[in-house]
Amino acid sequence: MTFEETELQRLVDEIIRLLEKYRDDPRALEIILSELKSLYRKVPIYPGIITMCLPMVVKSVDPTQLKDGDEVSLLMKDGRVLTGNVSGISQNEVKLKNCLESSGQRPCDEHAVQLKDLKEARLFTREILHREWPDLDFEE
Amino acid sequence: MPELQLKRGNVVKMEGLVSLRVKEGKVSIVGGLHEMGSKVAIPRAKSLPVEAESDAIIEYALGSGGKVEKLPGRTIPREWDVLVEEIIAKKPRVVLILGEVDTGKSFFSTYIANMLVRQNLRVAVVDGDAGQSDVGPPTTLGVVVVERPVVFLQEVQPHAAYFIGSMSPAGHILEFMVGIKRMVEHGLEKADVTVVNTAGWTAGGPGRALRLYEMELLKPDIIVALQRGKELEHLLKCMDQAKVRRISVSKQVRPRSRGDRTFLRELALSRYFEGAGRLVLDLRKVLLERCYFRTGEPVDLRSLGDASIVYAEKIPEGLFIVVSGELDDKKAQELKAKFRNLHILRSWDAKNVIVGLANSNNELVGLGVIDEVDYVREKLAVITPVKDASHIAAVQFGSMKITPGGKEIGTIKPGTF
Repeated sequence: MTFEETELQRLVDEIIRLLEKYRDDPRALEIILSELKSLYRKVPIYPGIITMCLPMVVKSVDPTQLKDGDEVSLLMKDGRVLTGNVSGISQNEVKLKNCLESSGQRPCDEHAVQLKDLKEARLFTREILHREWPDLDFEE
Repeated sequence: MPELQLKRGNVVKMEGLVSLRVKEGKVSIVGGLHEMGSKVAIPRAKSLPVEAESDAIIEYALGSGGKVEKLPGRTIPREWDVLVEEIIAKKPRVVLILGEVDTGKSFFSTYIANMLVRQNLRVAVVDGDAGQSDVGPPTTLGVVVVERPVVFLQEVQPHAAYFIGSMSPAGHILEFMVGIKRMVEHGLEKADVTVVNTAGWTAGGPGRALRLYEMELLKPDIIVALQRGKELEHLLKCMDQAKVRRISVSKQVRPRSRGDRTFLRELALSRYFEGAGRLVLDLRKVLLERCYFRTGEPVDLRSLGDASIVYAEKIPEGLFIVVSGELDDKKAQELKAKFRNLHILRSWDAKNVIVGLANSNNELVGLGVIDEVDYVREKLAVITPVKDASHIAAVQFGSMKITPGGKEIGTIKPGTF
């Protein structure tokens, strides 16, 4: 066989890539899994579209671009991963509510993270099919 | 009614909604010759150049969004006519048109067909795009035989059609290959020249596979590549260069949005199902195709010990069951262990699935939408414009769900049935 006759191979490659990339971020993996299940339930005949949508579920962003309510993971320089919803943003810090550490511990209801301590900010997008291909997001 | 006075060689662009009548003289529309008395309607969101072949007068009426605009000259590139002259001279049996989406392949196919009709040649046009179908309803491939000038191929009754089951060849490459071959065979039987308008999927593994195997299967005499730049060269490099003709995409081609495409598909399906009725087919008398369902040995439901199972059969892949509710996990594990594998269909999964309805020669006679499957009484109810159940010998399962009003409401996983 010389060509991939379906796009399932690309999808498997993409899933492996995402699993490896976010192995340090259980929340990201959980949301990717949830979106993958939803995409596969809604458009099982279009693995190419699932492959296109899946990497958009978690995106690395400039923390100053975050907005209130955004669901994020924040990777700290000390190795901790904090997840939660943005509740405030200023020049120096991001505030998270419903904040959890990747260990499952809740540091406090609202937690402020200094931008200088931040290695990476990851923004989560749910219902990715509806955002990217609304005409394929059929009502169930 | 307003009139346009045209001198020979004048060109106007008419944008729909507009209807026109040739009052005097001769005009050319998409290469087709229209003489005194000829009437043409251009629908909304379409525009066409009208060229005066003699001094002519056109009466026209503009509808919503309709527009008439004088153009400085011909919009049909000279290279198109050079190609048409070659086709007329050589009379190739199969001309295959390649191009990405929105490159004007349909317009170009219609132009070639009309120009050949002028030479009293019989032309078949095979539409290889199941999503944006010019011939037959969406989810099918089709072939028309053009014997008089046409503005849009949809005006011509399809000579034959083949059910793909989806708007895209993705996951349906085998159906697609069988279908395109059969449509070209119909064309070759009926026409001097068969023009194949291919779908716009030209890159990626499946896109390359489709185009190259299609080429190998159909053995075209001429391959026309409609390109903006070099976007088809990766395919053309694998082809006999003596057969390849590279043509530029017309600047008049307007891209369609995804929303436009969905709208046009749904419009075409709703028109197709207009006036459809409910037919009840006897599952003991019709063949079921492209499915696991009813291909195995019946299993006594009492032996399975679960009231939610309304149908069961043993197939080489395991046990195929239909359940009317959720099957208990423990029972599912037990059946899986006993039969090696368990294929579960929920009784409501079939509702709204699009199906092809074929006659005893396995030719498509129409499309249907499943309304209900009665697994106990072995009946299948479909909504279809086909009026007589006795014409239906086989039901081919598709992988889209639509309403009889044409709205796409879902897709189903291959292998569900």
